Amino acid sequence: MTARTGRGRPLPVASFLLVLIAGLPILWLTVAALGAAVEGRSGLSATMLPTALRETGLLMVWVGLLTSVFGMIAAWLVTHFDFPGRRVLEWALILPLAVPTYLAAYAYVEVLDFTGPVQQFVRLLTGAETLRDYWFPDIRSDAGAAIVLSLVLYPYVYVACRAFFLMQSGSIGVAARTLGASAWRTFHSVTLPLSRPPIVVGATLAMMEVVNDLGAVQYFGVNSLTAVIYSTWINRSDFGGAAQLAVTIVLIIAILILAEQAARRARLYASHRDSKVPQLREPLSGRRGALATGFCLLLLLLGFGVPFGQLAILALRNIQPEALALTAGTGLTTTLLAAAGALITVVIGLFAARQGSPRAHLGARSAIRLATLGYAIPGTVLALGLLQPLGQADLWINRTTMWLLDWRPGLILSGSIAALLYVYAIRFLAVSHSTLDAAMRKRGDTVLDAGRVLGVRGWELLWRVDLPTLTPAILSAATLVFVEIVKELPATLLLRPLGVDTLATVVYGRANVGLFAEAALPALTIVLIGLVPMLLATRLSGRRD
Amino acid sequence: MMKNLRILALAAALALSGTAGSALAQSTEVNIYSYREPGLIQPLLDRFTEETGVKANVLFAGDGLIERVAAEGELSPVDVVLTVDIGNLAAAKEQGITQTISDAALERVPEAFRDPDGQWVALSLRARVFYASRDRVTETALTYEDIAGPEWDGRLCTRPGDHVYNIGLIANRIAVWGLDETREWLAAVRDNLAFAPTGNDRGQVKSILEGSCDLAIGNTYYMGLMLNNEAEPEQKDWAAASRIIYPDAEGAGTQVNVSGAVLSKWAPNAQNGNKLIEFLLSDEAQQLYANANYEYPVVPDVQPDELVLSWGELNASDVPLTEVAAQREAAAALVDELRFNEGPQD
Repeated sequence: MTARTGRGRPLPVASFLLVLIAGLPILWLTVAALGAAVEGRSGLSATMLPTALRETGLLMVWVGLLTSVFGMIAAWLVTHFDFPGRRVLEWALILPLAVPTYLAAYAYVEVLDFTGPVQQFVRLLTGAETLRDYWFPDIRSDAGAAIVLSLVLYPYVYVACRAFFLMQSGSIGVAARTLGASAWRTFHSVTLPLSRPPIVVGATLAMMEVVNDLGAVQYFGVNSLTAVIYSTWINRSDFGGAAQLAVTIVLIIAILILAEQAARRARLYASHRDSKVPQLREPLSGRRGALATGFCLLLLLLGFGVPFGQLAILALRNIQPEALALTAGTGLTTTLLAAAGALITVVIGLFAARQGSPRAHLGARSAIRLATLGYAIPGTVLALGLLQPLGQADLWINRTTMWLLDWRPGLILSGSIAALLYVYAIRFLAVSHSTLDAAMRKRGDTVLDAGRVLGVRGWELLWRVDLPTLTPAILSAATLVFVEIVKELPATLLLRPLGVDTLATVVYGRANVGLFAEAALPALTIVLIGLVPMLLATRLSGRRD
Repeated sequence: MMKNLRILALAAALALSGTAGSALAQSTEVNIYSYREPGLIQPLLDRFTEETGVKANVLFAGDGLIERVAAEGELSPVDVVLTVDIGNLAAAKEQGITQTISDAALERVPEAFRDPDGQWVALSLRARVFYASRDRVTETALTYEDIAGPEWDGRLCTRPGDHVYNIGLIANRIAVWGLDETREWLAAVRDNLAFAPTGNDRGQVKSILEGSCDLAIGNTYYMGLMLNNEAEPEQKDWAAASRIIYPDAEGAGTQVNVSGAVLSKWAPNAQNGNKLIEFLLSDEAQQLYANANYEYPVVPDVQPDELVLSWGELNASDVPLTEVAAQREAAAALVDELRFNEGPQD
C-alpha cells in the first residue's frame, strides 16, 4: 500500500485512503454546502450564528479549563501522593465517563430545579412557596451546562494525565524536591508545565464533545452551534445551509488543532523515561490527607454519584417485567455492537497512529489529523453525510449484481450494521488514535529497532514487540471507544437497521415523550455496561504498573 | 489491512441484511419508519396485526427519517413513514418520496387535514394552547392578540421559537394575519416573556409551578400525559398548578398541528401500507390513539379522551395545513429576525 519516495520516506498512500474513507461524510457535506452556496443560500447568515458562536465558544473554554483543573489535579494527587482511599479512588475517578452527558444533564436538572430535593429542602427551611420568595441559581443556564459537562468529562484529562505521570520518570520531581522546592512549587513549576501535552489531549476531547453535543446542551438552554445547525436543517428545511455550518465548524476545529500541534512541535519536552527513578508517592496524612481524599471524593460524588443515584432511584421505583426484558435485549445488542465497534476502531487507530508517527511524512501526519475530525461533528449530521453516499453505493452494487446475477442484495451498506460500525469508527477514531498515538510517542521506536536488530521482522515484530508493548494503551483505547459507543445516540438512531435498538435509542424514545421512569432502567444499564470494561482495564493495567 | 477490514464488514453486512431481502419476497409484512415513539403506537400495531395478519416492523428515530428514505431510494424497505408536524409531511412530499394514498383512507379525513394530491394524511390533531397558572391568572378566555398586551409583561414563557411546534403556530398566524401583523405580534410576545425561551412544553408547566411564569404556550397532550402519569405521580401535582385555555376559542379558532402518515414511493408492500393507514383512520384505532396520547382524533365523529373533553371543546382553526406549511419558512425567518430565542429586548 505504500510506495517509497526518493528520500526513503513512504508516501502516505494508505493514510490518504484512510482520510478518504473517514472523510467521506465531511466530503459529502462539503458538496451539499457548496451546492447550497451555488444556489445562493447561506446557513452562515442565520442571525443566531453570532450568539451561538459566542455561547459555544465560552462553553468550550469553560469546559476546557474546568476539565483540565479537575482532571489534572486528581491525576497529580493519585500519582504523586498516598492518602486515605487513594487505591480505590485512583480507578474510581474515571467512572463519570460512563455517564452520557445527556443523562448527567437530565439528572442534575431533576435534582437542582424547583421540584428537585434541594429546592424542596430550601422551601421547607424557609417556608417559601414559589421562586418569587427566594433566590436559587438556575441550573438551566450556561454556567450550569459548563459545570455539569465538566463533571462528567474531566476523566478524559484525568486518564491522559495519570498515564503520563505513571510513565514519567520520578527523577525530575525528586530533583526539584532535593533542591528544596515544596510539593506545591514542584507542582506548578515542574509538573504543570510538563503535563501540558496530556492536558491538551484530554481537554481537546472534552471540548470536541461539547461541540457535538446536542441533547445536554439543549436541555440547559444554551444556544449552541449544533442547535443552530439542527434548526437550520429541521425548522428551515435547509440541509445545504446546515451542511455549510457543519463544515465551517470542522474547519475551525481543524485550524485549532493544527495550531496547537504547531505550538507543541516548537517545544518537545524530553519526556522519555530517561532514568529508572520510580515515581515516589509522598504520604499525606492529617488535614492534607483529608483534603486530598475530600477533593477526589467530591469529584467522584458529583460526576458519578449524583447522576447514578438519581437514575438508580428512578429505576428502582419502576421495576416492571417489560422494562427488564427490554433492557436485557437491547443491552445485549448494545454490548455486541460496542465490542465490534471498539475492535474496528482500535485497529484503525493503531494503523493511524503508526502512519502518523513523528517519523512519517508530514502529509501523512496532517492527513491522519484530518481523519480524526469526525469526533467534532454532531452525530446526526455525520450520519446524514454518510447516509447519502452509502445509499448511492448500495444502488450501484444492486444494479451491478442485478445485471450480472439477476439478484439484488438490498441495502447491504446503508441498511445494515455496517453503516453503524462505519460511523462509530469515524466518530471515535479521535479517541482511539489520541490514546495510541500518545503511547507510541512515549514508548518511542527504540524497542522496535531492538527487535529488528534481533532479527524479528514484519508480522512477527507486530505480534511479539509492537502490540505487547502497547497493551495498556490498546486496552484503554478499546475501553474508551466501547464506552463511547454504548453512550452514542444520534448516529445510532438514524443509521440503525430496522429492528435493531440499543439502550441509548430506547432511553431516547421513552424520554422523548417524557416517560423518564421507563427510561431509567435502560439508562442505568448504559452506565453499568460502561463500567465493566473500565474496571477490567484498570485492573489489568494496574497489574502492570 | 484496510482491505480485509472492508471485506469483513461487507460480509457482516450481507449476513445481517436478511430483513430487507425477505420483506421483498413475501407480503405479510409492513415496514414503518416512525418519528413517533414505539411505545405509543405499538398497541395499535398489535391490533392491526391481529386484524389483518400483517406483521408490522418499526424503526423509530427523532429526526432524519425522510432523508433516510430519500437516500435509500428504490431499495428502501420502508412502506409507511409516520411523522409529527406538518413541516415533515410537506417535506416528504417535496422530496419526492411519497405516492398517493388510497381513497378509502383519504376520505376519512376533512380536507384541511390532508394533502390535496393525496400524498399525506393526518392521523391526529394536536392543539397548541395556553397553560395558565390557576393562582395568578384570572382570565378564562384569551385570544392570540391578548398575550401581546402590556398586562402580560414579564409573565409569558415558551420553548424556543424555532422549535417546529412554535414554527407551526407562527406560520398559522402569518396565514391568518399576514406577515407584518404577525411580526408586530411576535415582537410584543417576545418582550412579554419572563425569560429567554428554554426547555420543552413540560418544562413550561414546571415554570408555572415554580412561579417564574404565569402563562405558557404548549400542546394539550403534555398536560394529559402529566395529569395521568402513574410512574411519576408527582407530575400530577406539577400539572395541577395550571389549567388550559384554548386561544381564540370563540373567534377563528385554536391552531392545530398534526401527526400524519405518508406512503413511500418505493413501498415494497404498498398494499399493506395502505391497509395500515386505513386501519389507523378507523374509528377503533382513532379511539385507541386518542385515549393513549390525549391528542384529538382527526376523524370527525370520534370523541377525544374524557380528560381532554373536560378541558372544553376544541374549535380548531380552519386554515388549511398546506397554507401553514407554505408559511413555515417565513415563520422561521421571523424568529431569526426578531431574535426571539434571546428573550425580551425592551
